[in-house]
Parts: sequence; structure tokens; C-alpha cells
Amino acid sequence: MAAQMAATKVPEVRDITRIERIGAHSHIRGLGLDDALEPRQVSQGMVGQLASRRAAGLILEMIKDGHIAGRAVLIAGQPGTGKTAIAMGIAQSLGSDTPFTALAGSEIFSLEMSKTEALSQAFRKAIGVRIKEETEIIEGEVVEIQIDRPATGTGAKVGKLTLKTTDMETIYDLGSKMIESLSKEKVQAGDVITIDKATGKISKLGRSFTRARDYDAMGAQTQFVQCPEGELQKRKEVVHTVSLHEIDVINSRTQGFLALFSGDTGEIKSEVREQINAKVSEWREEGKAEIIPGVLFIDEVHMLDIECFSFLNRALESDLSPVLIMATNRGITRIRGTNYQSPHGIPIDLLDRLLIIATSPYTEKETRQILKIRCEEEDVELSDEAHTVLTRIGQETSLRYAIQLISTAGLVCRKRRGTEVQVEDIKRVYSLFLDESRSSQYMKEYQDSFLFNEAQSLQMDTS
Amino acid sequence: MFFFFFVPVVFSVSMGTFSVPEVDYYVFSIMAVQSWSEVLRSAKKTALISDGKRKVHYLFTDGSEMAEEYDMRTDELILRQLRSKTKLGGAGQWQVEVGERNPSAVPSTDTEIKESSSNPLFIRKDTKASFQWRVRNIPYPVDTYSVSVEPAERCCIIRTTNKKYYKKFSIPDLDRCQLPLESTALSFSHANNTLIISYKKPKEILTLEQELMRELKKLKGTNEGDVDCKTQ
Repeated sequence: MAAQMAATKVPEVRDITRIERIGAHSHIRGLGLDDALEPRQVSQGMVGQLASRRAAGLILEMIKDGHIAGRAVLIAGQPGTGKTAIAMGIAQSLGSDTPFTALAGSEIFSLEMSKTEALSQAFRKAIGVRIKEETEIIEGEVVEIQIDRPATGTGAKVGKLTLKTTDMETIYDLGSKMIESLSKEKVQAGDVITIDKATGKISKLGRSFTRARDYDAMGAQTQFVQCPEGELQKRKEVVHTVSLHEIDVINSRTQGFLALFSGDTGEIKSEVREQINAKVSEWREEGKAEIIPGVLFIDEVHMLDIECFSFLNRALESDLSPVLIMATNRGITRIRGTNYQSPHGIPIDLLDRLLIIATSPYTEKETRQILKIRCEEEDVELSDEAHTVLTRIGQETSLRYAIQLISTAGLVCRKRRGTEVQVEDIKRVYSLFLDESRSSQYMKEYQDSFLFNEAQSLQMDTS
Repeated sequence: MFFFFFVPVVFSVSMGTFSVPEVDYYVFSIMAVQSWSEVLRSAKKTALISDGKRKVHYLFTDGSEMAEEYDMRTDELILRQLRSKTKLGGAGQWQVEVGERNPSAVPSTDTEIKESSSNPLFIRKDTKASFQWRVRNIPYPVDTYSVSVEPAERCCIIRTTNKKYYKKFSIPDLDRCQLPLESTALSFSHANNTLIISYKKPKEILTLEQELMRELKKLKGTNEGDVDCKTQ
């Protein structure tokens, strides 16, 4: 049993999970609705905003059905009322199979690419095509795994894997990543496995019937399968999802070595797009492909200008259009690129096509709850009094400012070797960092001593 | 580097004098409507001569490509490889049908799983009179092997009694011309760790190949030496 010896010698490989950094919305795991789409008060990281969450839940159902294209939703509300959180909640509940593209309104302004091109690319990234493709797989029973580590202890491991079917036997050379995933899957002699040749993904089908007498080595859930027949390498159809934009890119690339000389601007010709649309609808009619309309989320949508809005109007009418979700925190303001005032800085004709979800400021109880969730997310222990103080700060200044104080107060607490953040820690950071209103107060008092104060009459143009 | 990178500047001849019907076909599979000789004729062909080899590149009307290399003295086919567009529209991989591509000097290390060099190696290497396959690096005695024709599946199968080697292969040339597979045409021998399997070419194939060779010789190819590439 040389093979099993070799398999047991391999040290346990640490599970390589992606380490995620804590972001502003990393505590959101969904919309927090029950099966009847009724919002729970606190669930999946969401607190309050019951009406808007319920509305978002209906939109989510519409997206999941996948029949309706080209609808647009606007989430409007004051700063810090959970607009982006609701959009993230929708993205999380859709799962990885539905494309979700998020961008900020200012992202489309680039010198390399026109605004409408950037918008069409974003639109096409949000539409998935599920398609069958042939791929090469290796399917067989493991005869032996042999892994050699270099004597010096450093350098790449090399390994050999012997696989067999009822008709043949082949030895494969393995790379270090493959060795790692073999030991992670705990593959040993007698297992029947498949390996996707292109991606290197290993899946265990079960144990071979010929090993059925080795009772001691397996649990109750072990499945026994027949040793495969014929050749080890087979072609198999797999289903995968690509976005329309990815198909565009594959087809617009200049072929061969000429690509070296053509300056690619990243813009895709409209002829290429038309061809691909025709091809995709042909596949769809033949039943070869399925279209999955996804979600395009544009945050800070008031940053778009009048040309973009008129483009959106037209783009939403195409049948290959995703569900568009926009968010803005502006009231009645100037439409960018014009001198007209309009609600949310969006032209009336586009507003007319939108379903508008409003968010409202959080109550004290909700603020308290959100701060509690963020404390857990940022791994900070908060005493009850400190929590009350922080909630007051959140109510009187802003929720974002209060959230900012959590990790800073946590650090102050750790520096004085405390385990739980006390009111003093909050006071300390509150005095160290100004919130927006105290900062403006300070400005007003000391305006005269700042540089360039003679130009104070000029207001900054932000819209 | 493949030779057809120079193709755009080499004199190119299109022989499409008759109209090609708008039919979807694939070079890899059996053609129902057009015969293979017509497909070859309508393909855009480019030739060049270097290293004592006549190298021909075919571009078919559906965008797939075929590249062949012939020995100048014996007119034997040394290499044939095919490539078609992937389903999403990108360029596919070259599939070697006859001969072997020069192995790169540095073996690529980024492939995570590949067959060990100690395994048997299967290649096709034709002669004038027959299709021939060689399985190199296979040491078992000659009575281990059995080679059979499966007319229903349109393929041949090599089996071994010790269950060490098994290979199913088709003969694309016969598939393209829609000719039947005959078990009488098949024979094999084993020597020097190599199993050689021969299939006698039928008359239709022989005439087609002679005709093609005549056409290829008419193509004006450039002579040996460097081709000046205008785009570089």
C-alpha cells in the first residue's frame, strides 16, 4: 500500500479561503425577507427600512423570474439611509449565477472611451448567456498517487498520478497546484475521480467496487461506483455562464499577430455587437443557449449627464436589457450638462419610467441595532453605556460618523489594554475626530485665518 | 511559430470559380452536402516552400483553417493540423491530425496535469499507399494487441489483453469522403517498442490525393529563404 502511505504523508493543506476585508457593506448578506416577502425587523445584516426592503423584494422576484427586461428602479433617500445596502442585499440574494454589475456614476467618464460606450459595456456585462460547451475531462480510478518533495525542503513538489479504466492505465505528471487540490480532496488509491483538463477541477465520484472489502477505511456515506470503461480522456458537455460583454471582447480582438500593431482603444464596434446579438438570439431559438438578464447598479446616478440619460432611455427599450437599479441622495437639483432643475437630477422622461423606492432616516432603535451589527463585523466589544453614547452620536451627527468611531474607539481601548470599549474611549475619539457639523462650525469661526480666505464668496460648483 | 504568420504577404490564389452554396458544414465532421474535394477547391489556399517542405494553408468558407506540410521530394504528407472557431467566436486550438508538431525546447511548466513521457505515444504518419498510425513507447509483445474496425461507430479500436492500453480512433479522411471502413484493409505489426497499424488507402482516396497534389503544385509558392513581411 505504497500509495496510501504516500497519501498519508502529505501534510494537511490549509484551506485557502479568500480573506475578505471589512468593507462598509460587508455585513449585508441579503434583504432579510421571509418567504412571503415580509421584511423581518433585523435579518441578514439589514435593519429597519421595512417598506423599501419589501419593495426591493418584489423587484428581486421580478429579476429572478427573468421575463421582464429593461425595467429601472431608483432608490432615493438621504445620505446614510441604506440605499447601497439595499442594492448589495439584492446582489447577495441573487446568488452567483445571476450577473450583477455595480458601478458609480462617475466611473463612465474616461478619456479612453466615450460615455455611451462605457454604459453599453456595463449594460452588456449585466446580461449572462448560459451556454453548453465541450470540455475535455479525465475520468478514472486512482491506482497510485506518488508525491516527491525536494530533499532541500524548498522548491516545487512534483507528483505522479496513475489512473486506470477497465481497459487502460496512464501515468500523469502533476503540477504543485494539482497536488494541493488532490490532498485537499483527500483523494486516495481506489477512488474514482474526474479532472477537468482546462480548469484542473477535481471531483470525487466515489470508491471503486473492487475496493469494497476494505471496510475499515470509510464512513457510512461512502458511495461505491463502477470503474469507468474505455479511454481515460473523454469529451463532455458542461454548462457555463458568460456575459455578453465577454463574447464581444472575444470577437472584437484583432486576430493573430496583427493584434500587436493595432492600438486597441477598448471600444467595441457596433457591427460586432449586432452580429453577436443575432447569434445569441439564434442560439436561443435553437435551444442552445439561455439568456439570464442580470442587474446593473449605478450608484450616485446624479453624476450622469443629459447625454447618458437619453442613452439610458433608449437602452432600456432593447429586449436584451438588464434590470437597472440606480441610487441617488440628491433632491431637486440641476441635471448635469443642462441648466434645468429636476427631481434627483434626473430628467422627467426617464423618471417617468422608473419605479422609485424611498428610504427614510433610521430611528434611534434601528441606529442602535446597526451599530451593534457593525461592532460584531469589526470585532469590537462595546459596553452598554458606550453603545448608548454612540447611538446618540449616530442620531445627532450621522450614522456613518458613528460607524467610523467604532474601530477607532476599539483601537484606543486596545492601547489601554481594555477588553470592552467604554464611554471614555468614545469620548476620546469623539474629541480627536471632528464630525461634519463640528468641522463646519470650526470653519466658520476660523475662516479668516485660513489660506485664500479672500476668495470665500466663490462657491464650489459640485453639480 | 507557425509558418502561416507570413501568409498575408505570400502570393495567394483563390480557386473559387464556382459559387459555393450557403450551407453550414464542418471540416471535422461528415459533410452531407458538399464533397470534400469541392470544399478543398473552394478554400482559399496559400503556399510557401521552406526547409524542403511545401507548406499549404487552407482557409475554409466557415472560417476554419487547415495547415499541411508535404515533403518536396517524395510528396508525402508530413503534417496536417486543423483549427476551427470556438463556439463563442474565439480562435480555437490547433488539432494535429497527421504527424507531430515540434515539441517546444522548454517544456511548459504551467500545465497542471499532463501525460507522463513514459506513456505510449500515439501519432499518425501516413505513407503514399496507406494511412499509418504508430504507438511508440509500448513494450508489450505482439500477441497482447488486438486492433479491430467498428463500422457502426466509424472508428478503429486498439485493445491490449493486459489492460494497459486502449485507443479509439477514427479516420477523418474516410469520414470526409463518406467511404466505408473495411476490416480487411487493416493490419498491424510490433517492433522496437513501437506498434504500427496500417490501413490501405482506398482507390477514391488515392485519386483525390493525386488530384490535390497536382493542384497544389500549380499554386505559386514563394521560394526558400526569408519572406519580406510588409506589415512588419
